[in-house]
Amino acid sequence: MKINPELTVTKSKARVLNIKTDMFKTASLTLNILMPIEMNTAENTVLSSFLVHSTKDLNTLSKLNAKLEELYGAMLSGNISKFGESYKLQFSIGCIDDRLSLDGESVITQSLDLLLSAVFNPLADDSGFSQKQLETEIRLAVEDIESEINDKRSYALTRMLEIMCEDEPYGITRAEILENVKKVTSKSLLSAWKDLLLKGTVQLNVIGNIDKSVCEQKICAAFDSLTKREPVSEQTVFVEEAEDITEKTEELDMNQSKLVIGFRTGMKNENDNFYAERIMTDVFGGGPYSRLFMNVREKLSLCYYCSARLLRQKGILVIQSGIEKENKQKVIDEIYRQLEIMKNGEFSDEDFDASKRAICDAYKGFNDTPDGLDVYYGMQLSGEIVTPQQAIEEFMKVTKEDVTKAAKKLTVDTIYMLSGN
Amino acid sequence: MNNIKEVKNEKLNESYFEIDHPSGLKILVYPKAGYASSYAMFGTKYGSIDTQFKLEGEKDYTIVPEGIAHFLEHKLFESEDLDAFQRYAKTGASANAYTSFDKTCYLFSCSGDFKGSLEILLDFVTHPYFTPETVEKEQGIIGQEIKMCQDEPSWEVLFGLLRAMYQAHPVKIDIAGTVESISQITADLLYKCYNTFYNLSNMVLCVVGNVNCDEVLSVADKILKENPQQKIERKFHREQKDVVKDYVEEILPVASPVFALGFKEDVKTPERTLKEVLCSNITLELIAGKTSALYTEMLEDGLINSAFDFEFFEGFGYAALFFSGESRDPKAVRDKIIKRIEELKQNGIDDDAFERIRRKLYGSAIYGFNDIESIANEMVASHFNGENIFSAVEVLGELTKQEVEQRLINSIDTACCSLSVIKGE
Repeated sequence: MKINPELTVTKSKARVLNIKTDMFKTASLTLNILMPIEMNTAENTVLSSFLVHSTKDLNTLSKLNAKLEELYGAMLSGNISKFGESYKLQFSIGCIDDRLSLDGESVITQSLDLLLSAVFNPLADDSGFSQKQLETEIRLAVEDIESEINDKRSYALTRMLEIMCEDEPYGITRAEILENVKKVTSKSLLSAWKDLLLKGTVQLNVIGNIDKSVCEQKICAAFDSLTKREPVSEQTVFVEEAEDITEKTEELDMNQSKLVIGFRTGMKNENDNFYAERIMTDVFGGGPYSRLFMNVREKLSLCYYCSARLLRQKGILVIQSGIEKENKQKVIDEIYRQLEIMKNGEFSDEDFDASKRAICDAYKGFNDTPDGLDVYYGMQLSGEIVTPQQAIEEFMKVTKEDVTKAAKKLTVDTIYMLSGN
Repeated sequence: MNNIKEVKNEKLNESYFEIDHPSGLKILVYPKAGYASSYAMFGTKYGSIDTQFKLEGEKDYTIVPEGIAHFLEHKLFESEDLDAFQRYAKTGASANAYTSFDKTCYLFSCSGDFKGSLEILLDFVTHPYFTPETVEKEQGIIGQEIKMCQDEPSWEVLFGLLRAMYQAHPVKIDIAGTVESISQITADLLYKCYNTFYNLSNMVLCVVGNVNCDEVLSVADKILKENPQQKIERKFHREQKDVVKDYVEEILPVASPVFALGFKEDVKTPERTLKEVLCSNITLELIAGKTSALYTEMLEDGLINSAFDFEFFEGFGYAALFFSGESRDPKAVRDKIIKRIEELKQNGIDDDAFERIRRKLYGSAIYGFNDIESIANEMVASHFNGENIFSAVEVLGELTKQEVEQRLINSIDTACCSLSVIKGE
């Protein structure tokens, strides 16, 4: 079936990406808003959750949830994450397709209305956001940040990036955000909310059996009332090469140590040499056929996981592994040995083909779920839209030499160890 | 000859094919029009709780080390020459496997060479190869996997709870076993378990997506040999009604305390019907779902946060209601939940709330039908429970409020409750 994304830009510079299809049983609607990482950081963190817990009309969590239950358990959620040196706020609603409603009502239109109402008609008046809800929301945000330590793998990655990007906006620390979240007031939240709508880079992704004209009309109605909208865009700093290696070890009472290594890739922006970088990352430490899995895990039996990941929006490659404390040097030595193999192009044609095949195979599958499409297009918030098929064509052009060249540009920046017992 | 039957659901406009393959294997083929990728799952009804078993006619139960089902899952990927991952690398499929309390599943997704990938899946799962050397190598890798899980508060709090609740039932043992228990595993023991549980009559193959019966059967006919039918007897551990301990705690580096609260059901038969499961799911929503007064109250009092969750936890010989999350005062959460359950038992269920939650669960069931991965998972699970993937939507429509009330009264005894807590220092 043809999945054809259509992009339109409204008068108020909001992008609407529409994928109309009757292939799915559900629809997925996501409003993506980008804001520079340093602008209203704490307020935006609180807003990502505040806005999906009430609206002006449905002014308590249980009223809002009752409405969602009536809409066959539609799921309204908010999220905030780094996207290069911006924060990406995502407000989403997922719902069943109208064909499956029991009494013939349009669930999708009502869900879109509810999503827009959550973002554009919050529980606030001219003096600020609801103080009562704010108290709960601040507690939730604080506990959410504090609880990151419960997931050691993700905590170690965050710490490594904080240290590696100390002098860049990207390196903003959990501790800083935490302190500022505690200071958010109902007034500062109101002003940050206005900034979000007036200065944010906006894209609504609509995936499902909905008419384009209906969405556009609703989105226009919502945004075009904001006459002074002037989106600000953030230029992410791409450090192309590490100057020297920073090493840091922190201790925590736990069984398994976490080793995280950060590399600069030499990328100048998120599109620079992306396709070769992506394949290089996969040959190095992607699937079970990769250098790191085959050697650090299978051959030397040093870990359960050891993998590489490309942070495209920031031009950083990270390697993560869970190891025994005393094996640290052994694991680093082996990772360096594999890095040399990558740089010298000594990986086999088979390894290279396996990565290419696996990546293309995965890209083909993006069209098969609303969530897959939402995640895929949620990464394309500016410039031209690249479909999975177009990306596959680009991947197919990458040669083994391109991959070797990409590996040659890797420089180790930071070695971080969260050391256990 | 293959016996092919089509199973349909009119409302959802979905259907799949059920095939009794001559090898003894049940094959379920679920084509999804318009999908580029396919998903295959080959599962056996064999998990971490199957530590004592015998074949029909055998005198004594065989007792095996804890964690052996999971160990076997890891080892099956190896063969004398290329391991399964190296073979998949040639087809582009993304492959994996997992072991749970009551099943082990091998899976792949792919949008390229489906037949080639399916051939690899059926071939490596039906051709075990274990040697003392390869067993030893895996002990290092799984040892690290076990240690990783011991650092995960959500995992530790769950097994703390299971040990507090269950006296004898093996659901209380860690799925991966312990470093000690897996050191007792030998190649011979692996073959013993393999030959018992990997008989095709104890397994199911589900394929979903860009697939058709002819393709699947051509591969199955080529690879699968007929297995002699055999009947496995699992030991039914009849648990005592009471919990072992009503409170346990452990120290780990966590921010606010992590808790898991369980209400143990006094199960008299090994398995629960789908109707009972759905009634329990509705009950959970009524007790502490997001529209319940209790949820709002606990949130506003600062007792729970966004990590709060619940589930009906059940399998062969065990069933319980679980509530979990993070809280500065887990005991206060427990007391409030107990009070709420008693009130519901006393006052009965509100009509509007019942209808709203039924609608919500109907919607949730529909979500699964988008995604080939969740369809495959759901088909395997419902097949092993003697149901089919459409049963839940159908039974939900027929449920009455009275049945839920009855289930609430019969299945929950607030005195049989354990609380497990992980605290920071």
